[in-house]
Amino acid sequence: MEPMSLSWSMAAPAIGAAFAASLVEVVEAFTIVLAVATLRGWRPATLGTAAGLASLAGGVILLGPLLERVPLHALQLTIGVLLLLFGMGWLRKASLRAAGIIPLHDEDAIFAAEAAELDATARRQLNRQDWIAGMTAFKAVVLEGLEVVFIVIAVGAGRGLLVPAGIGALAACAVVLLIGAAVHRPLSRVPENSLKFGVGVMLSAFGVYWTGEGLGIAWPGQDLALFVFAALFLSAGLLSTAIARRPMVEVLS
Amino acid sequence: MTMLKELATEFIGMFVGDARLTLAILALIGGAAILVEFAGTPKLVGGGFLLFGALALLIESVRRSARAAQR
Repeated sequence: MEPMSLSWSMAAPAIGAAFAASLVEVVEAFTIVLAVATLRGWRPATLGTAAGLASLAGGVILLGPLLERVPLHALQLTIGVLLLLFGMGWLRKASLRAAGIIPLHDEDAIFAAEAAELDATARRQLNRQDWIAGMTAFKAVVLEGLEVVFIVIAVGAGRGLLVPAGIGALAACAVVLLIGAAVHRPLSRVPENSLKFGVGVMLSAFGVYWTGEGLGIAWPGQDLALFVFAALFLSAGLLSTAIARRPMVEVLS
Repeated sequence: MTMLKELATEFIGMFVGDARLTLAILALIGGAAILVEFAGTPKLVGGGFLLFGALALLIESVRRSARAAQR
């Protein structure tokens, strides 16, 4: 791979996107782990979480070195395409949620539903309650963690920013764990949709930037073009929300 | 096995939230690649096609989903 220098105009959005996206995912995983802990105690919750984190770390350690072998342009193109698909998907959903077309993510409701489901499953299989509780925590950590790992790799790998992006993700984990330990309930007051909207904007901007670089396009202003792309995606997202709201207003009036 | 299936579904779901949007984005990238690699168009024109195409696809996808939900 070509040697790469650390550019703060690229590092700041990478750290910010990794932090915000990880915050959303960690809050979702925390809600389920907390439901497990409340219902079956901290032992299965902690064991499931530790096993989930170990599986994710194992995957990263095994697959991470393969990234070094991929030529830079191919890596940027692949990650750019995946980021465009992922980021625009998040931005589309966040716009629809902001317009009231699909319901907002409700951590309190998810906590209650997860606790009820776990309770019902555990009642059916009395001798395996802790095992089921641990697996529930494990699954939540692996599924949400998978998205965190992808985002860290996607925003970090193209420019040698894996460490700063990883620090952004770890900072998000620390914030959620500290607040979670203090309040001991689902973090339902996190402005999840606004965060998802912002992350969708950043990931889509990164997606266009790296897909273009992968195709050999030299963007004017180099890294600074990212900020222009982000401003354009933000405007398009807000415009989409306004358009999605309009027919509803017409129907209501 | 069920767990692996769930993981695979989740992983694919990360990129294919809305099948029409996914296909449209892939077609857009293909179009930009053709412009840049084979049509002899200046590379920046291909870049503009990619950027503004993505913005248009986003607005159209949200508008379409909103209309479908309100029907």
